[in-house]
Parts: sequence; C-alpha cells; structure tokens
Amino acid sequence: MQQQEIQSFLESFFTATGCQIEKNLPGELTVQLTIDMDKALMNRPFYWHYIEKTGGIPNPMKLTLFTDFSKKGKKKGEWIHFGSNRLHQIFKTARQMGSYIRLYEKARGGKSRQIPLDPWLCVNMKISYQCHLKKDHYRSIGLNLINGAMMENFHQEVSKIKNQLSPKIPDFCFTLSPLIKVPSGLRRIEQFIIKGIEQEEHQWAEEARKKWQEDINLLEKFYENDVEKTVNYFNEMKAIQEQYEPKINISIINGGIFYLTRERFFHV
Amino acid sequence: MDIPIIFDKSWQEGFLKRLEEDGPWSNWDLYDLANQAEKQLLVPEFKGLVAPKFLVNFTPLEHQIETARRVVEEMNGKAILADEVGLGKTIEAGLILKEYMIRGLVKKVLILVPASLVSQWVKELNDKFHIPAVAFKKSYPWDQMDCIVSSLDTAKKSPHRETILEQSYDMIIIDEAHKLKNHKTKNYEFAQSLKKKFCLLLTATPIQNKIEEVFNLVSLLKPGHLGSYQEFVDKYKNKHSYNDVDLKNLIAKVMIRNLRKDTGVEWTKRHVETVYIEFSKEERDLYDYISSLRQEHSGIVNSAFSFLTLQREACSSKEAVYVTVKKMMEQSESPLKDSFFETVLQKIQQITKNSKAEKAVELIKEIDDKVIIFTEYRASQLYLQWFLKQHGITSVPFRGGFRRGKKEWMKELFENHAQVFIATEAGGEGINLQFCSHIINFDLPWNPMRLEQRIGRIHRYGQEKDVHIYNFAIKNTIEEHILHLLYEKIDLFRRVIGELDEILARLEFGSMEDHMIDIFKRSASVGEMKVKLDNLASMVELAEMMREENEHATAGDSKLS
Repeated sequence: MQQQEIQSFLESFFTATGCQIEKNLPGELTVQLTIDMDKALMNRPFYWHYIEKTGGIPNPMKLTLFTDFSKKGKKKGEWIHFGSNRLHQIFKTARQMGSYIRLYEKARGGKSRQIPLDPWLCVNMKISYQCHLKKDHYRSIGLNLINGAMMENFHQEVSKIKNQLSPKIPDFCFTLSPLIKVPSGLRRIEQFIIKGIEQEEHQWAEEARKKWQEDINLLEKFYENDVEKTVNYFNEMKAIQEQYEPKINISIINGGIFYLTRERFFHV
Repeated sequence: MDIPIIFDKSWQEGFLKRLEEDGPWSNWDLYDLANQAEKQLLVPEFKGLVAPKFLVNFTPLEHQIETARRVVEEMNGKAILADEVGLGKTIEAGLILKEYMIRGLVKKVLILVPASLVSQWVKELNDKFHIPAVAFKKSYPWDQMDCIVSSLDTAKKSPHRETILEQSYDMIIIDEAHKLKNHKTKNYEFAQSLKKKFCLLLTATPIQNKIEEVFNLVSLLKPGHLGSYQEFVDKYKNKHSYNDVDLKNLIAKVMIRNLRKDTGVEWTKRHVETVYIEFSKEERDLYDYISSLRQEHSGIVNSAFSFLTLQREACSSKEAVYVTVKKMMEQSESPLKDSFFETVLQKIQQITKNSKAEKAVELIKEIDDKVIIFTEYRASQLYLQWFLKQHGITSVPFRGGFRRGKKEWMKELFENHAQVFIATEAGGEGINLQFCSHIINFDLPWNPMRLEQRIGRIHRYGQEKDVHIYNFAIKNTIEEHILHLLYEKIDLFRRVIGELDEILARLEFGSMEDHMIDIFKRSASVGEMKVKLDNLASMVELAEMMREENEHATAGDSKLS
C-alpha cells in the first residue's frame, strides 16, 4: 500500500465514520474524532468511564496523521505507514463496522409500474491455505435467492453501481421474497467454495505432509532407545503436527443482502 | 487429496440475527473499506517475504533478508542463526517473526535472552518491527500476553516455569543459545520441554570445542536431525569432525552463519595500540616479591595458580592484590602466613601511585570522547572510579551482577551524561555500546574469546566511527608475555571477530584459556614459558593454514566453515 493510498483510505474511513476532517493536505490529515471513534481508537477507557460517571462534557480528541515522511518530527502528530499499529487498528475497526450490509438498487418505477427487486446474498471470503507456510485467496460470491444464479467477483461488480444503491427501499419498488432461504443460500455458497477447493491441485499439501513424515521419522529415531515415551516426545510430535499439517481455513470478511433489478445481472 | 477444510461460521450467526432484527446495517463506504483493508492484508503466495513492506523505520541489509527468506522457505521455521558478532542476528530474528505474524502463522511468542538484553529486544521489536513485545513483569501473566521477552533465569524458576511449560508457543526465540550446549544443565532441560512450533536459536559461537555441543544445540531445535546421541557419538567422535562433509551438510540444513567478509557490509576500521607502562619502584617491589614467592613454592597457599592470579592483580592495582591476599590468609593454615601477609601489606602501603591509572587519565583526557575501560577486578574498578573522580572525569560502573533495570540505567547514564564506562569482565557480554568508539583494556583476560566479546560491544553493526583499542601492559611482567602472544603471535586484534574460534575448533584444540593457564602455571622459568607460548602460536598458525586450504578446496560451498 503506497503512502498516497493510505491517505485516501484514511480520508474515506474518517468521512464514513462521521468524523470532521479539519485539515487535508498532501501527506497530512487532521481529524476531529467523534465520541465513538475516540472510544474505538484512542484507548482511554478510564477517561470515558469518568466522563460518563460524572456527567462531564465529553471532549473527543483530534488526531493528526502524517503519510509524508518528511513531515515527521516537524509538527505534532503520528507518522502512519503500512506497518504501523495505528493503521492496523483502523483496518480492524473498519472490519468490525463494515461486517453486514443491506442495500437496494434505486430503480425508477412509477405508480402504475412498480419494480420488483431480486434479493442477492453476497459473501466476501478469505481462503487460507496453511501448512508451515501460508497463502490467502480472496473470493466474492453473489447468489440470487430467486433463481439460484451464482456470480463470481460480486463485490467488484456491485461496486460499479455503488452510487445507485440506497439503504432504504426506493419508492415504487418492492422486494421479492427469496425462494431460497438465507441459511440454505449460505450453505450453497459454502458447498460451492468447498467443491471448488477440492478440485484444485494441492501439491503444497503433499509436500508439507512429506516433510511432516520426515520429521516424524527423525523424532522416532531420536527417542528410539526410550522404553517408555517421554512427555517431550509427545510434545515434539504435537508440535511438528502443528508446524506442518495442511489445512484450509475459510473465513467471511463481510457480506449481506443486495436487492437489485432483474436486468442488473441478467447475463448471469 | 483429503485436506481438512474449516469454514468459520461466526459471521453467519450475526448476519441471521440482523435479518431478524432488521439491522443495524453498515453503510457502503465502511463495507467497502473493510473489504479493501482485508485485501491489503492478504498474502497471495507461499513463497517470498512480505515483512520488508511493513518496515519503514529502517531497511534490513541484504544478508539479513536472505537469511530470513531461507529460514522461512527452506528451513521451515526452525534454525540456528549463527552470524558472527555484530551482523544483526536480532534483526534477522525480528524479520522472521514479523513474517510469520503477518501471515498469521505465529501469534504466541516467547523470547528468552540474557537479562541485560531484555529491554533492548523489547525496544527493537517495537521500534523497528512494530511487534508489541513486552518485557516479563509480574503483572503480565505468561498466559495472557502474546509476545513476552524474559531472561532464561527468570523463566526457568518456579512458579514461572510451570506456567510457561503449560503454554503452547507458536515460536520460541533463544538468544545466546550457546549457553544451552550442555544437555545435563537445568537450562537445557527447560528449553527442551518448551512446546514450540517454530524455533530460532541465536548464537555467535556455535562451535567451540566439543562436537557434542553441536549435537545438543541441533537436537534442541530438531530432535533426530543428527540421529540419536549414541549414533552420533559412534560416528563422529574420533574423526576430525569439523571437516566431515556429511556432517557439515547436515548442519547447514539447520544453521545459517554469515561472515563479515561475505556480507559486503563496510565495517569501520579497528586500530589497536599497545601501551607499555613502567611500574614505579614500589609497585615493582610488590610484583617482584610475589613472583619470588611463586618461584619458591613457599606452601603458604596450596595452589601455584593463586600466585599467578596475584601477579596479574599486581599489574592491575594494589587494591586487587589486597582483596585476594586477605581472602587467602583467612583460608590458609600455614605458619608462615602472618609474615607473608605483613610483608605484602607493608609493600602495598609503600605504593603511592597507580602507574596504569595515571596513564589512563592522561589517555582519556587526550581522547576527549567517550571511553570504556575494562578490568578483570572489581577492586580495580572501584579504585578507578574514585581515581577518575579525583581528576574531574565522570564515570559509571558496570557489572554482570547488576539487575536489569540498573544495567539499562547505567548504559543510559553513560550515553547521556558520563564520559567513562568502567566494566568488569562479567559485564562484557550482552550490552551494546556502539555510540562509543574507544576501549581501554586496563588488564587482559586470558581467553581471547572474552577479548572479542569486549571489542564486540562497540565494533558492531551501527558503529559509524573507526574503533580504537588500547591495551595496557606493564613492562617485564606476565602481562607483557600474554599481550605478546595475543597481539604479535596470534595477531588477534587484527582478526575479524569470530575467526579465531573457528580456527581453534578446526584443530580440536581445547580451550585457549586452558592452554594459557597451563603455560603460565606449569612453566618453571620465563624461558620455558616463552617457548610454550611460541608453540601455541604455531599451532594457531597451522590451523589457520588448514583453514585456508580447505577454503580453497571448497570454494563456493556452504557458508558453514
């Protein structure tokens, strides 16, 4: 992530959380935090506890962040970069606050022509392939809960029409109730992903299992003269299992329901 | 292929609840930002390092990045990092740890280091790597903090020991791991019982004298890599093991050793100067008296070695002699002891000045910059502190026995307020003072490794100036002989750090210190001593020639030599 990208990420984040951006210069951002954001980011529970107990006037902090290295030290503020804890705290906050969504397409209907909207279930996922090494894949799947159509890169596609989405159901539109219930829709997506993974080549896992077996053999050799196996032997055996055992973890980053016109993703 | 696939369902519960309760829902911007953030943190490939992208406060050196890559990709996260002193093993360990943390493979970490290095590790991990490591304190329970730095001594003691052994660590890092070479020690047994997925052992001196020590270290890391103990001993015990190609290859699979000359890092120069000093008449009197007794084997104290110690102390300060003599007399039952004690006392009282200390003051004033003085004796340390104060020179003392907090404090005082740092031998290890570039060796240890460690305090990664080392030696004493061997014969001070231990290991030569003690203790005359010293020097020379030949023969071979 380049410093400029970080700055624009921060800008969007603070705007989206309702904080006032007081200064927005290249490489420098000053924000007046809201009470909620102060609580989320500034790590001063005792202050907030005190204010709430005494009924004092809350005074949320201002935060100045520099993304331009040359400004560091000249003024008061924090230097923020891809590795800094502050950025990761903000990432985490964004994840917590952006977990679930429900939006409607702003279709233009009329009194005489009411427009039906299809429910799409969307799930954005991280798939981690893990042994002694690890890699992650990102998948975004949308499922039409009326006709069962499934769509890859759903998030990317829906981003293209983000300006036509509204949190409230627009006038002269109505939602179709799902033929596929949400829990079973979630199961379909899960099955679809798992099936796909099962069909992939898993050379990495074979290699990991081979290494695992090699280390087991070494360990057996090392303890071969012990009549009774020691605690250390079992500990080591468990440790190398944790080190090498291949597994795949799937976690959902976020997702939700999008009500869209039938034509929107008609091609699917 | 049958691989367990775990689908995390925690999100789904929250989702269904919101559907039921009609919200609350996020807005599009935050929803999209959450996606972006998560995508930024994905690591799309098994191979390669992502950690360097996360570091901005410094740029790791090429050999450090390459080391981290090899440990992660080729060694599966279990390695002995054995770079020469001052090449940044801490940085390498930090890089590896960071890589695993970013990839989500490591969360719970225990870092065991010498007490004097605890704060330094915590600071480096936080400042350089943004890893929230904390030093162990009673208020931070072992089971609740993710990344704890502690001394091995604290960790192995009850009740900490029991709690630690209950934990399953994703990674264990042990600094100065050569202290774990003996499998019969408590330290070793403790380290062996730790539950660890990944493990890094850091040491600058992986190979010293015994081949078993290598076996113990490797077996801690990866039991069975060198076979069972019996197998190993049968196979390698009676060979010139360090030249055994199979063994070398096996070790190279779990150990990385970068040498200064291979790193391409430009090191500042090392200037070594011997400063010969003449005793005053009274000091000479005391020294000669002690030497004469030694020749006569007077039986006042049992061990000839004690006299040797006294001789060396006489070269340092009369205070050092006094302390030792007093102790000897308390233990001795010889009828002659009273007259001996009285004579020594008398001679001590005659001495009105310390010629070395005077020279030191002169030199410190001339240097007009920060200086470290090393002495072997606590009494000399105290005296020097007092003496420097008389001359308006500020100094701080440093000893191995100081508590962690005090060590840090003394280091800080030296860095910011005092001109001179007076350290005893035990304080030589485990503190980094690269902001200073002058060392005075007020007296000399017999073990060249210790000398290296002294110099290593300042001549290391991060030193920006040329380093100056002044070796004090009193003319016509045992000290001059020692220096003659170390300096002129073995050319010790000109060597790069770490070279000598390898040379000695190659020869299966025994400890340098043992040789020295033998020479100085058992020689009947000065002449014999000199001959023996010459022999020792030739052996080192021979070992070095063997090394060079071997290097030619295996040029391009592994870095282990």
